[in-house]
Amino acid sequence: MIKMKPILKGRKNIFKKLMIFLAVLGPGIITLSAGNDAGGITTYSVCGANFGYSMLWIAIPLTLGLVVIQEISNRMGVVTGKGLSGVIRERFGVKITFYIMLGIFLGNMCNVTSEFAGIAASLELFGISKYISTPFFAVLVFVLALLGNYKTVEKVFLVGCLCFLTYIIAGFLAKPDWKEVGHNLVVPHLKLESSYLVTLIAVLGTTIAPWMQFYHQSSAAEKGTKLELLNYGRLDASLGSLIANMVAFFIVITCAATLFHSRTQIVEAKDAAMALKPLAGKYCFYLFAFGLLNASLLAACVLPLSAAFTVCEGFGWESGVGKTASEAPQFYIVYSILIIFGCAVVLIPRISLIGLMIFSQIINGLLLPFITFFTIILANDRRIMGKYANTPVFNVLAWCVGLGASLLSLTWIVILAIESV
Amino acid sequence: MTSQTTFYFSRTLNRKFYSSEGKPLGKVKDLLIELSGSRPRVIAIKTRIKRKERILDFSQFELVKAITNYVIKCNNIVDFQIPESSHSIFLAESVLDRQIVDINGRKLVRVNDFRLVIISTGVYLIAVDVGLEGLLRRIGISHQIKTFLSWFNLTLPGRYILWDDVETIDSMRAGIRLSTTYSKLHTLHPSDLADIIEDMDHKSRINVFSALDEEKAADVLEELEDKAQVHVIETLSKEKAADVLEKMPAHEAADIIDQLETEKAEELLNEMTLETSGDVRELLQYEEDTVGSVMSADYVSFNKNVTVAHVIDELRKTKPEADVLYSILVVDDRERLIGALSLRDLIVSEPSLLLHLIMEKQLVTVFDDDKIDSLVEIIDKYNLLAVPVIDSSSKIQGLVMIDKVLEELIEK
Repeated sequence: MIKMKPILKGRKNIFKKLMIFLAVLGPGIITLSAGNDAGGITTYSVCGANFGYSMLWIAIPLTLGLVVIQEISNRMGVVTGKGLSGVIRERFGVKITFYIMLGIFLGNMCNVTSEFAGIAASLELFGISKYISTPFFAVLVFVLALLGNYKTVEKVFLVGCLCFLTYIIAGFLAKPDWKEVGHNLVVPHLKLESSYLVTLIAVLGTTIAPWMQFYHQSSAAEKGTKLELLNYGRLDASLGSLIANMVAFFIVITCAATLFHSRTQIVEAKDAAMALKPLAGKYCFYLFAFGLLNASLLAACVLPLSAAFTVCEGFGWESGVGKTASEAPQFYIVYSILIIFGCAVVLIPRISLIGLMIFSQIINGLLLPFITFFTIILANDRRIMGKYANTPVFNVLAWCVGLGASLLSLTWIVILAIESV
Repeated sequence: MTSQTTFYFSRTLNRKFYSSEGKPLGKVKDLLIELSGSRPRVIAIKTRIKRKERILDFSQFELVKAITNYVIKCNNIVDFQIPESSHSIFLAESVLDRQIVDINGRKLVRVNDFRLVIISTGVYLIAVDVGLEGLLRRIGISHQIKTFLSWFNLTLPGRYILWDDVETIDSMRAGIRLSTTYSKLHTLHPSDLADIIEDMDHKSRINVFSALDEEKAADVLEELEDKAQVHVIETLSKEKAADVLEKMPAHEAADIIDQLETEKAEELLNEMTLETSGDVRELLQYEEDTVGSVMSADYVSFNKNVTVAHVIDELRKTKPEADVLYSILVVDDRERLIGALSLRDLIVSEPSLLLHLIMEKQLVTVFDDDKIDSLVEIIDKYNLLAVPVIDSSSKIQGLVMIDKVLEELIEK
C-alpha cells in the first residue's frame, strides 16, 4: 500500500495537470485556427502553386516567430488583464494609439474583405453567385454577432477547421519529392524578384497576422487565467502555432506537388481546389469549398468584432454586443463599416477574389513590423509586465521577427522600384 | 492673477518652460496633484531639465496667457520633496489615458485630458475630459476638425466630468492606495457597481473589490455574473473571501461555492463560521434541478401560541431581510409547519391575538426534492412572493423567493 501511494499520486497529478491544461486551453488554439482564414489558405496555395518548394525554408523560423509573438500576447493578456490597444494607449498615449488604430482598422478592412471574398469564392464552387452569397452571409454574420452567442459559433467553426487536416493526407497522396522538400526546408534561398518577395510578405503577414495579437491578448485577458498557470498558456500558444503552421506547410507542399508541377496558375478558387484531387478526386471541389467557407465564416464572425473591440478599447469608447446601439454607438459604427465595406468590395463586378485575399495578407505583412516593435517595448516594460517581462532569449527572437519583417518589406519596395524603372 | 482662467493639461504636457528672463529651462512632463485637501491642487511639477528628470515646487511656476497659447514661466528652480504621508497622484503617470469610473454615468471611461483652473490661491484640477474633442486635441487635429465642422454649422461634442464625480482605479500601482480610497464607489448601487466591475480588467477588479467593506462586497458579489463571481472569489484572499461569503444569504453563497473547484470550496467552507458553513453545506447537497438548490435557508418561524405583539417585537430586534418576510411561518410544538402570515396580517391584527387564530391554514408548500419546474406553476397559479419548503416530515427547510424562480425562468 505504502509503495503504491506515490504512483497513484503521480497519476492523479498527471490527470490533474491535463484537466488544468484543458481548462486553460483555448485562446491560443482558437486564435491560431482562426488565423488560417480565407487569406491564409489562398496565400499558402498560391505560394505552393507559383513557387513550388522554394519558400519552404521560411516554415521553421516562421513557426518559431509565431510561437514567440503569440506567447507574448497571451502573457501580456494574462498579466495586465487588458487588451493590447488598452495597454498601448496607457503606455504611449493618444497620438501613437491613433495611428496604430488607424493602421489596424484599415488592415482589418482588408481582412474582412478577404473573408467575404473567401465566402464568395467557396460558394462559387457550388455554383452560387457572389451577388447572392455575400449579402446573405453578411447579414448572417451580423445577426450572429448581435445575438451575442458568437462564442458558441466559434466552437462550431473550430470543429470545421479540422477538415484542413485533410491537406496533410493530401500532401502525402500527392507524392511530393520528399528529398527536395527536406532540402528546401533547411536551406534558405531568397529570390530577389518582387513577385517572390511579395508572396513571402503575404505568407509572413498571414502567419503572424497583427490582428491575431490583438485577438489573442484580449481572449487571454477575458478568460482571466491565473498567473500561476502561465506555462499552460504558453503550451496552448505553442500547440496552436504548431498545428496551424503544420497545416500551412502541407498546403504549400500539396499545391507545389500538384499545381506547380502541372504549371497551373491559381486564378480562381477552383484552381486551388485541384490540389486536393489526388485525395478527393472529383469531390475535391466540395472538400475545398467546404473548408474555405468554414474558415472564412469563422474569421468573418471573429475578426470584425475583435477589430471593433480593439478600436473602442484604444479610444475608451463603450463596446460589447450586450450594449445597445445608443449606449455604444462607436462600436456599432466601426463594426458596420467593416462588414459593409468588406461586402461591398467583393460585390464589385469582375474583381479578382483571389487577388483580394492575397492583397489583404500583403497589408498584414507590411503592418507586422510596426505592431511587433510596440509589442516588444511593452513586453519589456516592467511597470506593465512586472516580473513577467520578456527574457533576453524571447527578446532576440521577437526582434528577429520585427527586423526580418521590416527588412523583407524594405527589400521588396526597393526591388519593386528598380523593376519598374 | 485675480481673474479666473482655465486651461487643458495637454497644452502644458511636453511644453518648454522658461525662466523669468525668457530663457528655456526644460520641459514639463507631469503635474502632481494633492488630493487630501478640500480641492485637488497642483503642488509639484515633474520636469526634464538637461536630460534629467526633476520634480519641482509648483509655487515657483506661473502660466501666462500669450496670444494663442500659454507660456509657462518658472521664477526659481526649487526641488520638491514628496511628503511620505501625502495623498497625491501624478496626472500623466496614473490617470491620463487610463480608465476611471464615472460615478454619475455609472460606467468606465477613458481619460483624454484634464481641465485645470488658475485662481489666486493656486492651480486646481476641476474636470476630466472624456469626450471626442479631447481625443482630437491630443492627436493635435481638433482645430482643423473644428474649422471643418464650422462650415456645416456643426460643433465638436465635448464631454467633461467633474473631478468630484470620478473615481480613479490605478491598477498599475496597486497596494499604495490608502484605505480611504474608492469612497465614491460606495455611493453607487450594488448592481451598478457590479456592472462597472465586470467591465474592469481583473487586476483593478480585485483592487476595487478588496477595498469595499464586507457588507457592500457581499451585495456587489451577489449581482455579478457567475463567471465574474467565481473569478473574484478565487482571487481574493481566503479570509476576505470567506468573510464576504458569510455576509451573503446562504443560498447565494452556496450557488457560488458550487461553481468552485472542490478543494477551493472546502478551504473556504472551513474558513467560514460553523453556523453559515453548515447552512451552505446543506444547500450544496441538493441536486441542481430541485427546489432545495434554489431555496433560501433564511426564514423566520414562530410557535402558533405566541402573540402578534411578540412577533413584531422579535422582528424589530432581529431585523431580517425584506424578502424573508414575504412569508412568516407558523409551527406547532413539534416544529411542523402548520400555517403562514403576511406582514399585513400582523399589522392589522390586535397585538394580543395568538398566531394560530390569524394565520393562513390553507398553505401551498413544496418539498425540498421537488423539481424546480413545479415551482413555476405554483407561483404563477397562487400569485405568491415566496413558497415555504418542507421535507417529508413537514419540517421547514427554507423559503423559495419569487426572484429566484424568475432567474431560473430567464436562464431558460
